[in-house]
Amino acid sequence: MKKLFQNSAFLSLLIAASAVIFGYWLLENPRSTLAFLLTLGALLAAFMLDIPKWLKVLVGGAILLLVIPWAGFKNSFLFELGVQTGIYAAMALGLNVVVGLAGLLDLGYAAFFAVGAYTWAIFGSKQANQFMPWHIFPLPGAYFYLFMLVAVVMAALTGVIIGSPALRLRGDYLAIVTLGLGEMVRVLANNLDHPINITNGPQGITPIQRPPIDWFIALFDKFGIHMSRAEAYPLFFYFLVLVIIGIVTLVNIRLDRSRFGRAWIAIREDEVAARAMGIPLLPTKLLAFATGASFSGAMGALFAAKQLYVSPESFTLIQSIMILVMVILGGMGSIPGAILGAATVTILNVDLLKTASDYLNDLRNAGFVLDLGIFKYNFANLPNQLEPAKYERMVFGLIMILMMIYRPEGIIPERRHVAEMKEKE
Amino acid sequence: MSEAILEVNEVTKTFGGLVAVNAVTMHIEKRRIFAVIGPNGAGKTTFFNLVTGIYKPDRGSIVFDGVDITGRDPAVIAGMGMARTFQNIRLFGSMSALENVMVARHVHTRTSYADALLHTPRYHREERKARDRAMELLAYMQLDHRAQELAKNLPYGEQRRLEIARALALEPKLLLLDEPAAGMNPQETEDLQRRIVGIRDDLGITIVLIEHDMKLVMSISERIAVLDYGKKILEGTPEEVQNDPRVIEAYLGPGAAEGVQ
Repeated sequence: MKKLFQNSAFLSLLIAASAVIFGYWLLENPRSTLAFLLTLGALLAAFMLDIPKWLKVLVGGAILLLVIPWAGFKNSFLFELGVQTGIYAAMALGLNVVVGLAGLLDLGYAAFFAVGAYTWAIFGSKQANQFMPWHIFPLPGAYFYLFMLVAVVMAALTGVIIGSPALRLRGDYLAIVTLGLGEMVRVLANNLDHPINITNGPQGITPIQRPPIDWFIALFDKFGIHMSRAEAYPLFFYFLVLVIIGIVTLVNIRLDRSRFGRAWIAIREDEVAARAMGIPLLPTKLLAFATGASFSGAMGALFAAKQLYVSPESFTLIQSIMILVMVILGGMGSIPGAILGAATVTILNVDLLKTASDYLNDLRNAGFVLDLGIFKYNFANLPNQLEPAKYERMVFGLIMILMMIYRPEGIIPERRHVAEMKEKE
Repeated sequence: MSEAILEVNEVTKTFGGLVAVNAVTMHIEKRRIFAVIGPNGAGKTTFFNLVTGIYKPDRGSIVFDGVDITGRDPAVIAGMGMARTFQNIRLFGSMSALENVMVARHVHTRTSYADALLHTPRYHREERKARDRAMELLAYMQLDHRAQELAKNLPYGEQRRLEIARALALEPKLLLLDEPAAGMNPQETEDLQRRIVGIRDDLGITIVLIEHDMKLVMSISERIAVLDYGKKILEGTPEEVQNDPRVIEAYLGPGAAEGVQ
């Protein structure tokens, strides 16, 4: 039996079959959480197990580009889930450079997300008219792409500004200082509505321009798929996020396999030895910090456009910690780990806990009686406080504790590339 | 007398009330094998840390290859051509042996950030160069068959050799070896001895070593400095050092010299 599972052909067949079955099930029942999870499971299995590359691409492409968008038309919540997962995955990949590769514990990572979000929010809305002349704001939506680059630069600059003093410290001290500096960015956003109104303070900024998608709708029209603007935006953001995740992953892999990636890992492993091997400490750390920050900045701009609304509340310490949880859960320094960690936490957060809450509520309202003979329980008596969605932090805490005990290296541990030599040939 | 590669002048380092290195002066000539010996706690490793810039001296100056490097950053000093190994092996455990050596190619690799992102021809060229040189050095240390092994999984003797290979990847003019033979059996020590002489002869690298294995020290070093309580008590050829009562006293305590003779 065990041998059968090691057989690549059998495994391929199994994965292909499960992808088809679960994918079909999801298309038939777009609201079924179970079908959705099983489909993602097939995707994960295709990625993780030893099957031919073309099949991986086929299964991945079919699920990400066909099944989920198709099911998403019937249940747009899937797009919301996909886009949120994507945003967090990109940020987890960014934080993975800082924490996973360079070993710098950063607890203020949401600050860069805020910088990116406000960069587009201010200029992509009427807000900029408050402190800029010409009254040309909001800028047209097409500027969004340009401002994504601006957000990358701004976030990287913020990373250098925050990093220059902070990165002279190590370990716990660095964590506390980044926490403080990260909070400062949020407090700044909260208070920069006077004397000059830059961020509009606690009220936040809305509405924010979105990139134009007429071409996108027209493109689908040609294939006989007609969408209204409201239907098209979630799909558009979903595809945009997929593209960005692709780019971000590529950047991550390429840096990891360059002298910079090696220098970061060297610093993580042993600072003294790294310096003795000619690696300049502060510049290399700053580079890691700025790189991580820029990923976050890009996603911030996207977040602003997607939400149409930005306020300081979205960039709290809890956000930073959640992204850190994703990185640790997935496996520090591991690229697939960061993506998987982000997906797990987001789906748990946005979908599973809520579904569990709804389920319990249904049982409670129906007055369901659990009868195990000696043990009888009427769900109508279930206290209202018991709602999994309210316990997300406790659930994360439990997950982290269990991970630290049983698998401290994460779900998909970092594996230094053994393939380096093969690549050469 | 040939030219000095390293001139340490009156260097002092204190930790609180403890004077770890006390006004030590040392001139080390090019292409020498120079040993620093002394009892435990004599300040030998502190001396290395001062020379490589990990500690900043309180007083005194250090001139390396004609350039004053006093108080410079360790990375800058390493880049100028000073490499070292550590007493308690400090490899990058979760990286492969090859990557460990490639890390030390950092200063010799001219890949910019943009090159790495865009995979320009320069990236490929530089990366290949770094990898080829690293493989050469691994082969030189007879570790090429271990290239893909994680450093932390290598046996002790190979870890020691890998540390030397990594240090050589800096293309140093001066190589500092901190107790390279510690924990080695006689055969391994003999092998190491040949390698150290080889590095000097083949690559023309000056070598300074701290070592407790007197057989090794006496057979390969051309000059020896003896440290005791942070002070240099003697410098000379192996014969001079061997026969000096001060050295025996430093190791065995006052009065021991008469007993030995």
